[in-house]
Amino acid sequence: MIKIRRRLADTGFGVLALIVFAFSAFPVYWMVSTSFLPNSRIRGEDLAFFPTPDLFTLDNYRAAMFGEARAPFPPAVLNSIGVTFLTLVIALVVGFVASLALTRFQFKGRRTFIVLILVVQMIPGEAMIVSMFRIIDGWQLLNTIIGLTLVYTAGVLPFTIWTLRGFVNGVPKELEEAAMIDGCSRAGAFWRVTFPLLAPGLVATGVFAFIQAWNEFVTALVIMQRPEAMTLPLWLRTFLQATQATNWGAVMAASVLIAIPAVVFFLIVQGRMTGGLVSGAVKG
Amino acid sequence: MSLLADLPAPTAPPRQEIRQPSRKPFLPWLLLSATMVILGVLTGYPVLRLVVMSFQEYERAQLMGLPAEWVGFDNYATVLTDVEGFWAVLGRSFALMVVLVVTTMVLGMLVALLMIRIGKGMRLLVSVGLLLAWAMPSLAATTVWGWVFDTQYGVVNNVLTAITGDRWFGNSWLLNPWSFFLILTCIIVWGAVPFVAFTLYAGLTQIPEEVMEAAQLDGASAFQRFRLIQVPYVRSIITVLVILSMIWDLKVFTQVFVLQDIGGDRELTNTIGVYIYQTGMAQGHYGLASAIGVIFVVVMLAISYPYVRRTLREEEL
Amino acid sequence: MHRDTKSYPGRNPNVNTNRLVGAAASAITLTLALSACGNAGGAATAEETGPGEVRVWLVGSDTPVEARDYLKKTFEEENPGSTLVIEEQAWEGLVDKYTTALSGSDAPDVVEIGNTQAAAFTSAGYFREITADEFETLGGSDLLPGFVEAGDWEGNHYALPYYSGSRVVFYSEQILGDTEVPTTLDEYVETAVDLKTDDLSGVYWPGQDWYNALPFIWENGGFVAEQAEDGTWEAGFSSEGGLAGLEQIQTIMTKGNNAPADTNEADLQVPFCEGKVAFLSAPSWIQWSINAPEEPEDPEGVPGCASTYGKDLQGFALPGKDGGAAQVFAGGSNIAIAQKSARPDLAMSAYEILLSDEYQSILAGAGLFPAKTSLFEQVDQESSIGKAAAEAAANAKLTPASPKWADVESKMLLQTAFTKIASGEDVKTVAEQLDADIEEILNS
Repeated sequence: MIKIRRRLADTGFGVLALIVFAFSAFPVYWMVSTSFLPNSRIRGEDLAFFPTPDLFTLDNYRAAMFGEARAPFPPAVLNSIGVTFLTLVIALVVGFVASLALTRFQFKGRRTFIVLILVVQMIPGEAMIVSMFRIIDGWQLLNTIIGLTLVYTAGVLPFTIWTLRGFVNGVPKELEEAAMIDGCSRAGAFWRVTFPLLAPGLVATGVFAFIQAWNEFVTALVIMQRPEAMTLPLWLRTFLQATQATNWGAVMAASVLIAIPAVVFFLIVQGRMTGGLVSGAVKG
Repeated sequence: MSLLADLPAPTAPPRQEIRQPSRKPFLPWLLLSATMVILGVLTGYPVLRLVVMSFQEYERAQLMGLPAEWVGFDNYATVLTDVEGFWAVLGRSFALMVVLVVTTMVLGMLVALLMIRIGKGMRLLVSVGLLLAWAMPSLAATTVWGWVFDTQYGVVNNVLTAITGDRWFGNSWLLNPWSFFLILTCIIVWGAVPFVAFTLYAGLTQIPEEVMEAAQLDGASAFQRFRLIQVPYVRSIITVLVILSMIWDLKVFTQVFVLQDIGGDRELTNTIGVYIYQTGMAQGHYGLASAIGVIFVVVMLAISYPYVRRTLREEEL
Repeated sequence: MHRDTKSYPGRNPNVNTNRLVGAAASAITLTLALSACGNAGGAATAEETGPGEVRVWLVGSDTPVEARDYLKKTFEEENPGSTLVIEEQAWEGLVDKYTTALSGSDAPDVVEIGNTQAAAFTSAGYFREITADEFETLGGSDLLPGFVEAGDWEGNHYALPYYSGSRVVFYSEQILGDTEVPTTLDEYVETAVDLKTDDLSGVYWPGQDWYNALPFIWENGGFVAEQAEDGTWEAGFSSEGGLAGLEQIQTIMTKGNNAPADTNEADLQVPFCEGKVAFLSAPSWIQWSINAPEEPEDPEGVPGCASTYGKDLQGFALPGKDGGAAQVFAGGSNIAIAQKSARPDLAMSAYEILLSDEYQSILAGAGLFPAKTSLFEQVDQESSIGKAAAEAAANAKLTPASPKWADVESKMLLQTAFTKIASGEDVKTVAEQLDADIEEILNS
């Protein structure tokens, strides 16, 4: 009796799991499927749900990547990768040392600093775009990777510090002290003992910097105005704004191209990240 | 995560605390110097200008170098008396935030519980689905959802036509503010649940097996086990996730902005971020936009004051 | 990780050094350019000379490729060593983008701007003044007067006409069959309702297309917005004539039309080519899209229907209330030199080409109405479409001449209002709300 109920429950949960999977994956599936379909089957009432071999086409990718009316694709990829990489590295390095200062030292002004870091995150970024533009313009850094990186770094830094501070707090100082007793220098103890424990925290924080830099487009719209300076989100937006009606096939192909690096990045960091969050929050 | 400070801080030997400041008072400031330069210039200065501009008549001409005129609290008065504009937008933003946070947390928890209950193969399948949704860049995700709900050729209208027999082609989902926000909620929740589910799942798996088994033997129902064991165990994670979701959902921009581009009544679907953008960047009323920004920060500060205070108290330890 | 932190930033191999050098180089050039700009109040004094780069921002795909090629070639011949780059912009979000881009040090040199948007920028000092002498050289009184006015501010010229194009009603004889072409606005509405079936729109009219709505307001005696003696603006959609016009619009949109209520007027040739449209009111140059081949060479090209419905394409000017041509919206663009252009001398050289008879003739050949009235005859007026376009252009009107009108557009107030009308909401309520919103902006 119990066995049967258990079996029934298992089936029920299995069905639920399938529903969750379908709901999460469908838009992604639909994007990929549309991207391989010819326009004639995209615009019409006779919708194709799967790119069968006789329908399969790479035209949408050709249009997205090499279409002449478009902003060029290769520089957009390079710009996005450059900005994302730099933002990630700078934010993590700067944020990490700052979080050390805020956790491992007692000094005057520490609390003020922490409050400021918190308050800064409440300011709506859209209200500061113009001032950001003026600053970057003043430094002659419009349309450069450096200019955009600076803006993004300033944007993600408070959150990075705030988060990393939690992680560093979670690693007991006693561990370092024990290592120092064993003959390590203070810095040595830190690098050998504390730092490895912080790796998941750095990954978790890095993901947020990545999301910001890879996805942001409003500031980029203002800072990167030349076609060759566009980042991927700006490039994707040009597809939606064309005077012609949206070429959904090309838009989906472009969306796939933007999503692939993000999916790869998330695949790599996924396990570490949630593990890190939990170890930080539960065991802290 | 940002709440880690709320957890009992590891107690360090007091002698350390006393010795450090006297020995290296400059070191922490050295470590903070890069942060201070970056934030001082790229956040401090814009904030200063934000406040200054909120007291000025600052329009397109001022951007071209025309000296700005001081107008005192005029901008604030304009914003605060604009019931249909500012207050409606603010109320809408908070209402949306509450809906989003609650939906995300409930669904995230349910998915996490489901992941514990199902077999390995199924769990992998669910994880793959969640990961795909999570990794989708918000701009691309919104675009794809816009395509799914497209008025003319969208798959939703197509399938509805096939199922119901009525003609759904040409049915606009974004036109009506309610269905606009329904779709917006779908998009944001769809993208936010994976993070919540993964994190909660990782937390729930840390509960020792024996505890759950013992509870079961004692006759605790599934719901009792959930309420009395699982929730308390991951409470700190839940708090962190709620706070993070609140911040993100209040500041949501991309999804609203792009969805409005695809279709929709801007006046009735603006949230605070988009509203500031429309007022400033699109219409050139930078003074007004700045005032809205300042007011919004004040509102946020008032709401989060208890939290800030608690954090500060803990820092004193 | 540790090593990375130490080698950052100067030595990091992943930093694109080319771009860094490029950035530094362009920074230096720009500094030079800027310092030159400081005393360049309009007269050509100590400006930088010699070869350089000129960036021209054209909006949308209306400018034909032939014209673009001609502009680039001619400019580079006239200014040896210099280059001209055309960067295509999107109409959507154009005002947002210009607002910052034209105020920065890396501003483009020559920009196209919608005629109804020009005032937002001319009034704020975004464009370089065109002196009276330059105005005469560029065409003087030959330039389209309504558009010249749209680009004036306080008696000075800032943005001159680029092209205009009023809407024409297209139809295919195969679809229309024996039905008579309407000769008054009321007949037009009736015919549209009569023709409509589930698969055929009498008039194909996406809800956001407000340009097509204005003639109905004007013909019924209504107005968009008028300025009183004391300078305040009054909007007129809820005036008697305005409401009568809106009623007619709603009749067509809901009873004579299958187009979605919430889309804009992009790619109108698609439904037309599917044979689902009887009347299509659209800019005259859409005839080239309809008459495009079914299998476009460019993979991105949207297919037309040259061999079917394009074959017997005809056009007529939207009829007025009492016959003749209706007063329609004068669509088109102005063109200006950015105040912050680093090289006003080269920009002026490109500007002269854009307004030259040769260049404007190319535009005329593509069915656009050129910036100069003397070139109007170059637009093909043999066909019914060309004739209709000329009739419509002769009767065209502009939106209110207020610098704040661009805000009305960027808030998409009209699109939203007509979307509501297309979805059957009460005309009076929508009109009153719209008028209130417009007055709030224009009088702010």
